[in-house]
Amino acid sequence: MYQLRNIFLVLSLLAPVAGYGHATGEKEAGEFNLKEVLFTHLGDEYSWELPWGASIHLPVIVRDFAGEWHCFSSGYLEGDGEREGFYIAREGSHAHKVVGRDEAGDEYRPLDLSITKNVVAIGIGALLTACMIFALSRYYRRNRFKAPRKGAGFIELLVEMVYKEVIVEVLEKDARRFGPYLLTLFFFILLSNVLGMIVMFPGGANVTGNISVTLVLALCTFVVVNVSGTRHYWREIFWPDVPLWLKVPLPLMPIIELFGVITKPVALMVRLCANMMGGHLISLVLVSLIFLLGAMGSVVMGGTIVVSIIFSLFMNVLHLLIAFIQAYVFMMLSTIFIRLARE
Amino acid sequence: MSLFTPEFGLVFWMLVIFVILLGVLGKYAWPAIIKSVEERAAFIDKGVEFTREAEKDREQARADARVLLTDARKQQMEIMQQAERAKQEIIDTAQKTAAHEAKRIMESAKLSIEQAKVDAEFQLRERAGALSLQIAEQVIRRSLAGEEAQMELIERLLNEEG
Repeated sequence: MYQLRNIFLVLSLLAPVAGYGHATGEKEAGEFNLKEVLFTHLGDEYSWELPWGASIHLPVIVRDFAGEWHCFSSGYLEGDGEREGFYIAREGSHAHKVVGRDEAGDEYRPLDLSITKNVVAIGIGALLTACMIFALSRYYRRNRFKAPRKGAGFIELLVEMVYKEVIVEVLEKDARRFGPYLLTLFFFILLSNVLGMIVMFPGGANVTGNISVTLVLALCTFVVVNVSGTRHYWREIFWPDVPLWLKVPLPLMPIIELFGVITKPVALMVRLCANMMGGHLISLVLVSLIFLLGAMGSVVMGGTIVVSIIFSLFMNVLHLLIAFIQAYVFMMLSTIFIRLARE
Repeated sequence: MSLFTPEFGLVFWMLVIFVILLGVLGKYAWPAIIKSVEERAAFIDKGVEFTREAEKDREQARADARVLLTDARKQQMEIMQQAERAKQEIIDTAQKTAAHEAKRIMESAKLSIEQAKVDAEFQLRERAGALSLQIAEQVIRRSLAGEEAQMELIERLLNEEG
């Protein structure tokens, strides 16, 4: 640690000297575009980048304006390629998305059901979740009344933590009915969060930091909450116990309550998405810093590498904690919303 | 802000995958896991309850045994005391009887001794009388022979008798 500090100190002292000589140089071609990098990595892609320039080309499935389906590898679209009239827009409102041209020659966005990077990542996450849970259930089938050790023991620890400490505590007699949904939710989010932190192929996709994914998760909670809502719950919304003038001529309270019904899942959606995206963003920015400041010379770059890596490491540890907390919070709040609807 | 606009394709696939995952896990995995976890918890609770019960029973049994033992000891003590008392009583009675018998024997002995003494005295008296009579007879018979002879005779007779 002491040595590391010395290296860091020397590098930071040298930085301005080295920078002085280089900063006056002209702008180079192939300049590092921070915004481009951030948007590509945080958003979705049609192919999955691997180390050393390789990539996995995923299928593009689109329906054109005439209602016809087109399916081809995204490899054809690379480097401004065009296939069956479709190409990836560089800019505009559909940047980085597959677009086509209609009869009038105008750019339009087709119905896009492509298997994108995030879709594959969701599939991997779901598969891993299923493997994990089935491993535990198989263990139970084979060894009744025996406490699992090692891997299964760890999964059981999480299950017990979620099921016994939260679901049973909050839902009581409804625990068995809603337990499967809430547990699936927790494990899927947790695994997707952690997978997103792995830089290489099976992970690295910004799944839970994508608004579409959290939208579906929040929508599921919304549906579960409102479908299982009791008469009391609906009465609380449309005819709450407030003075009559608050609801009769102008349904003030019902509007507010209805608003609350919608904001709850929206808050869930935004919270998870923003947290996970924030984690990815910080990691990306810290790493990008190396390339941004790299233009100022090799010494600055060296210094930045040290600083960036230390900070990234710290932020990643923090992000790991947040990955767990967010999965837990999403599950816990869903549990509480269900409970409120069941009263 | 393309990052915050939901993408239809992704929403669609996510929904499909998540619903399938939920369906599969909800049908085949979670109920079994929840059941196992709850069953095991109940089993452990029951085990603990059973152990506690057994502990209580053992405690009770031990207390019972202790009571029994104390009772037995008390009884033993009582019996021993009784035996001791009986022994003492028997000894006392025996001693008393023996003393009484001894006294009786002594008395009868004394009586027979007395009797013997009286008898002996009587015999002696008889003997002395007879002797006296004999002597007197001899003396009378020898009266003719003088004084000196009489004395001599008496002397001799006495010597003979004595």
